[in-house]
Amino acid sequence: MRHRAHSFLLVVAAAAPAALGQGVEHTPPPTPAIAAATEVGPLGRRLAAARSGDVIEVGPGIYRERLRIGKPVTLVARPGAVLDGGGTTDIVEITAPGVTLRGFTIRNTGINLDRENAGIRVLAPRATIEDNVLEDILFGIDLREAPDSIVRRNTIGGKALDIARRGDGLRLWRSDRTVVEGNVIHNGRDAIVWYSKGVVVRGNVARQSRYGLHLMFSDGVTITDNEFTGNSVGIYLMYSTGVRIEGNRLLRNRGPSGYGIGLKETDQYSVRDNLIAGNRAGVYIDGSPFTDRMPGEFTGNTIACNDAGMIFLPSARGNELTGNNFIDNIDQVTVAGRGSLEANRFWKGDRGNYWSDYTGYDRNGDGIGDFVHESQTLFENLMEREPSLRLFLFSPAQQAVEFVGRALPAVRPEPKFTDEVPLMRPVPITAGGAGTGHATGRLAAGGAGLLALAGIVLAFGRSGVPREGVTS
Amino acid sequence: MIRIEGVTKRFGRAAALDHVSLELQAGDSVALWGANGAGKTTLIRCVLGLLRYEGRIEVGGHDATRHGKAARLLVGYVPQELGFQDDLRVAEAVAFFARLRGITRPDVRGSLAAVGLDPHRGKRVRELSGGMKQRLALAIALLGDPPVLVLDEVTASLDAVGRDEFVALLKQLSGGGRTVLFASHRLEEVSILAGRVAVLDHGRLVRTVSRDEFLAEQRPRLFRSLGREAAGTAEAGCTAPGGPPSFTARSCREASL
Amino acid sequence: MSALAANVSALCRPRPAGRNILTLAHRELREATRSKRFILYSVAFAALGLAVSLVSASVGGGSGLAGFGRTTAGLINIVLLVVPLMALSAGAGAIASDRERGMLAYLLAQPVSRLEVLLGKYLGQAGALAASIALGLGSCAVILAWKGAATSPSSVAWLAGLSLALALGMLSLGMLVSVLSRKVSVAVGIAVFLWLALVFISDLGLMAGAVALRLRIEELFALSLLNPLQVFKMWSLHAAEATLDVLGPAGLYATEEYGQRLHLIFGACMLAWIVVPLAAAGAVFSRRSPT
Repeated sequence: MRHRAHSFLLVVAAAAPAALGQGVEHTPPPTPAIAAATEVGPLGRRLAAARSGDVIEVGPGIYRERLRIGKPVTLVARPGAVLDGGGTTDIVEITAPGVTLRGFTIRNTGINLDRENAGIRVLAPRATIEDNVLEDILFGIDLREAPDSIVRRNTIGGKALDIARRGDGLRLWRSDRTVVEGNVIHNGRDAIVWYSKGVVVRGNVARQSRYGLHLMFSDGVTITDNEFTGNSVGIYLMYSTGVRIEGNRLLRNRGPSGYGIGLKETDQYSVRDNLIAGNRAGVYIDGSPFTDRMPGEFTGNTIACNDAGMIFLPSARGNELTGNNFIDNIDQVTVAGRGSLEANRFWKGDRGNYWSDYTGYDRNGDGIGDFVHESQTLFENLMEREPSLRLFLFSPAQQAVEFVGRALPAVRPEPKFTDEVPLMRPVPITAGGAGTGHATGRLAAGGAGLLALAGIVLAFGRSGVPREGVTS
Repeated sequence: MIRIEGVTKRFGRAAALDHVSLELQAGDSVALWGANGAGKTTLIRCVLGLLRYEGRIEVGGHDATRHGKAARLLVGYVPQELGFQDDLRVAEAVAFFARLRGITRPDVRGSLAAVGLDPHRGKRVRELSGGMKQRLALAIALLGDPPVLVLDEVTASLDAVGRDEFVALLKQLSGGGRTVLFASHRLEEVSILAGRVAVLDHGRLVRTVSRDEFLAEQRPRLFRSLGREAAGTAEAGCTAPGGPPSFTARSCREASL
Repeated sequence: MSALAANVSALCRPRPAGRNILTLAHRELREATRSKRFILYSVAFAALGLAVSLVSASVGGGSGLAGFGRTTAGLINIVLLVVPLMALSAGAGAIASDRERGMLAYLLAQPVSRLEVLLGKYLGQAGALAASIALGLGSCAVILAWKGAATSPSSVAWLAGLSLALALGMLSLGMLVSVLSRKVSVAVGIAVFLWLALVFISDLGLMAGAVALRLRIEELFALSLLNPLQVFKMWSLHAAEATLDVLGPAGLYATEEYGQRLHLIFGACMLAWIVVPLAAAGAVFSRRSPT
């Protein structure tokens, strides 16, 4: 990956002098590298001629120029309008408030992390960035002190660099009340929100990035109906207050410390109706809630098939879990280190959670198990004390240990937590299906192939000896 | 065709064979004679390369151990009892062993017909009687028309009638210049099949004599054993009127001639 | 006489080993697939696999969660339990049963070499095991596809291939037991003990060791490579997920330290388990009397 980026740079630098001065198909001047795209090209000249409030329509073509928008205008691209940074620089910079940029394909920024080469940089309030496609960019959309902006329906694809050399697909810095909606971000580093209040993040998709969404010191943020799949971490909240996380799908986020949702010293949050599946850890809670002003609320979430459903650091206290589904996580709920879960509640009033490993029954049919659910498998307990024992997961020896734990009360560990009113049935999953992602047709074909193989071997085994003289 | 030179075989301390040397020219038919434990079966197993031994055995010029495969290709072997619990059918069994001998298009029915088993070709091997199993083993031993036949007390597990029939069959099929090495402790078999007799005693080859010499020596004993046999068949009701003429009686006549 | 003399020279060239092995393998395959043991194990394996598949396909009640279900892990578990037992006992019976009923001496009195007999039996039994595995995992795949579970076809294919590799290793071990045993009952008894040792005792011992001796994770990983069942498990997970992170610190260590070279490491371990016991069996078999 690295090599490809380098050689690409070389090619551009070598080709640049020959292609100098050719109108729309302008290639960047040879030096300096950061000014590879021409400072003022045809679009720049049209901008210079425009007045505030103008709508400038841009026809198809490849525009190799840095676009500085210093007036409150609306730029609308017709299909095929491409802004190309030539791989050496920033591309669009918005310095006036109230600018709208719509429908462009913006591609090929520089890769200088120190200069934070960006596809679109917004340095003024009330920008509307919508329906753009950003490809092969280091930073995608970078809002600095751009409150009340709208970032909508953009597709942002990062460069094929390794993660340490990538930039953020989306960054908000002191941009309060910004709406981020319906964007698709992939192969970036993070989508990150710094020091921004009242931001709404709705209906976005982030894939193959490091942090699907990262909040730093940002209060009153609403995160709804997004999908975070295959990132290192889905959503990570740090030092933020008053955050709502609802109806999101957090799937297969499996980085080295891969969480669906991570909460670090975050306060007054509510996590509702999310689907959190296939992550290394579904939910990771470190020092949250930070104060005791409001319990951390988890309701209606489906936490399924993660390596660990929820990991609590010993410092975590004051979380309340009701009406969630805990389905087939290898560890349903676990405490890192030798902490206890005492300060968190796994049921409230007459409402507990659904636990797929609940072994009791419901004789009176009220939907609530007749026995308390106590989480206490011996192997889980051993794994918590000695994490390296996870190596023996899925082996019959694990079942042997668990069997011993069930059979001999003497070695049965203390329950980690109890749910006195466990649900007999899972609560409905509202965050949409998890999708299959694989063609079952091929699976069926593969299965049929294996069966055919077995048939051939058996048929061969049963015939082949010449039967002359037997049948004749 | 078979050359046995100074063969010694020890099981632990005991020597089952002690410097045995014996040579069979092509067409020779040699009986190994001796009591149980004299070393007959052990010698046969050495010839087949089933046991390791000191000394040297060659079959058709091939070392029985180092080139066992080539040596055994010259040998048809009939064991004491066919240890075949298989659910192979008779014809399939013949075809299987024919393949191991490299016969690509075996005449299975012909082989079976020669031993009178063709009507039973569709039966499973385990359904055969003892006599039929031995005939099957003989059919298998004759696959590919090998120049050497090795027989290890092939009648030991048969009753008197089956024994006589089988020996007659052997006489009929083992001729034609074949080299035959067989272990026996029945005089009538020796008298019918053997040209020479090698007498083993406690693992040592005591001597080799011609059949006639041997029979002359053994005649007194033969009569004793005949008496026992006659009593046995009488008990079994084999001499009942209308029964088949006893091979034993005929072999005695031959022997006394 | 002259016809027979001509016969001698015609018979001088024994049949090539490969064809003998195939003939013997064919007979062994036929016997193996007709045995009650084969049918019993095949049915048990398929039934357990299907049960796991159905349970994991029903996770979350049709919400599409099935794709996340640990189907592969569940099937790995079943394979770990059934396949070694199946292969060990197949191997243990292969030579000893023929020896016990006198068939072995008769077979070896034919123009075949001992190595041919051993390899033929190995190949035949391997074919039967392959059929059994393909039957079980194939029906699981069909059921999973029918239930719409998103198990990836390639992970099932890997699982089938690696199960066969595990079966081959255990078959080698079983054959070694078989050539060393005079009686089938003894051979099968030893095989069952070995199964217990590999499935439970060694893992439990290693667990105890990890806790008591405070083994470092690299030591733990290295020791776990000694057990073919662990190798199979780690290899299957690695093939399905491209990472062993699910196995905790030791798995992460292996993934980070060796990456894709893990395929080589696991492959070498498995190959050793296939080749070494079989070679030992060959060495013993060529020396021992067949009765």
